[in-house]
Amino acid sequence: MRLAAWIGVFAALAALPFFLGSYHNDVYRKMLLWITLALGYNFLFGICGQVAFSHFAFYGIGAYSVVILLFQVNLPLPIAIVLGIVICVLLALAVAIPATRLEGFYLALVTLALAQLFIVVLNEGGAVTGGTGGIANYRLPPILGWRIAGPAYTVVIVALLAATLAVLWRLDRSWFGRACRAVRDNPEAAAAMGVDVARTKVIVFTLTSALAGVAGMVYAFVDNTVNPPIFGLDNAFLILFMVIVGGAGRHAGAAIGAILLFLLPFWLAPLVGHHHQLVFGALVLAAILVQPKGLVGLWDRFSR
Amino acid sequence: MGPVLEVRNLTKRFGGLTAVAGLDFELREGEILGLIGPNGAGKTTIFNIVAGVFGADAGEIRFAGEPILGLPPHEIARRGIMRTFQHNRPFGGMPVLENVLVGAHTRFRFNPFSRKSSLEETERRRRAEELVAFVGLGELRDADVGTLSFGQGRLLEIARALAGEPRAILFDEPAAGLTPAELDRLAAIVRGIASRGIAVLLIEHDMRFLLPLASRVVVLNFGARIAEGTPQEVRLQRAVMDAYLGDAAAQ
Repeated sequence: MRLAAWIGVFAALAALPFFLGSYHNDVYRKMLLWITLALGYNFLFGICGQVAFSHFAFYGIGAYSVVILLFQVNLPLPIAIVLGIVICVLLALAVAIPATRLEGFYLALVTLALAQLFIVVLNEGGAVTGGTGGIANYRLPPILGWRIAGPAYTVVIVALLAATLAVLWRLDRSWFGRACRAVRDNPEAAAAMGVDVARTKVIVFTLTSALAGVAGMVYAFVDNTVNPPIFGLDNAFLILFMVIVGGAGRHAGAAIGAILLFLLPFWLAPLVGHHHQLVFGALVLAAILVQPKGLVGLWDRFSR
Repeated sequence: MGPVLEVRNLTKRFGGLTAVAGLDFELREGEILGLIGPNGAGKTTIFNIVAGVFGADAGEIRFAGEPILGLPPHEIARRGIMRTFQHNRPFGGMPVLENVLVGAHTRFRFNPFSRKSSLEETERRRRAEELVAFVGLGELRDADVGTLSFGQGRLLEIARALAGEPRAILFDEPAAGLTPAELDRLAAIVRGIASRGIAVLLIEHDMRFLLPLASRVVVLNFGARIAEGTPQEVRLQRAVMDAYLGDAAAQ
């Protein structure tokens, strides 16, 4: 019955784009991608307690990888996707294995450095990355003779969201998710219960980074352009804000935070122009100080 | 029956200080072994070496015949030695039952995506409920751990350690901070654990709690064993009285 309800929800989400104009379809697609990213980041930060700033960089790495492999190296789509995932996994392991052996802030610092380095590499990448202008004017190759575009591509994004949620949900509801929460709450006690703390952290970092990379591959064909400014650090922090405001550690929190902070600028723009960042800052501060469980925590309190 | 845990010639130095000096002891199935000694006798250091938190400078520790000295804490747990913490260390973000299920971590066999995983989860949850009831927290199984009293937190530590289905369980000063009523309950629980055939190692300060409970006692001073025997035997030894027990216990 619960499964049927979820299928209903995702069927509705998949049907919606066919009733939207192209502008709203674009907004809708990006909102779905933000929800997907926030769900992954929530597992890393909210459930496993790892503070990393590379989640959005991996989104960019996925996007650039698939575009470069398809149109610069001329590989077929399935191989480009698989290689793109391999690149994300290898990079994530290269960052996570040394970082988790160190204590405290090192993962945050290393991932911040990675996010910065990624932008430098994009800008300096010459013909391979297209430099500051990035790569544009490409199209998703036909899949089995079918060119997926318009609302049909939005359905692909809904499927991505559904698959990401299914994977994270299943993990969260298992011994593995419990081990992640234990690592977050008390690493020494987790180790005493038989949890390999370093291994758990590396697995979660690698998995969520790869999921971000896959989301980036899907994103690459939303605007059909990838360029350095899209993958800047602002967005790395925005994901963190989404999870904190919505409620860290809960899938619903991540989704609500992503929807709210993604849509808020559209409503705020007529009022405060580009100063919506100030409103975000105030919201994050309010969440941390007054409501550490975020909006879902608030919902819990009033629905009881 | 051979010992489950054998400690041989264990030595640990911190700089110039020898915290554990050539210590030998063994722990058998179903017995309650008390490790006692005054403050600074090396009790907690020994505990931490057995639990894998510290290494040692010399010596050997065997568990079920296998050398375990130098293994990390999660490997020690995986092999069947579970522990409690002197200062309760619950997982704050989860209710009581989930805390206990973390203790069962090493018992899960199936990957989370396999069909058998849900069945396994249901079965483990049922056993965790039994353990929560065994330590007397049945009513509180869905409670936020933040709402537990100190004594209830200690009981949770025990249920969580038992969930790993250990062959040996290490208690780090379990009596510390408990009320007299809670101590009685704790003693009954420890006896219940030993009667299941689990080897119990108790590091304890509180003589009134330990002596009636332990089947055997190892007395430490300056990291070395100064006496060993039943609580009755140990109580009467001059060296023990001098080192530690003082007037109160000799009465």
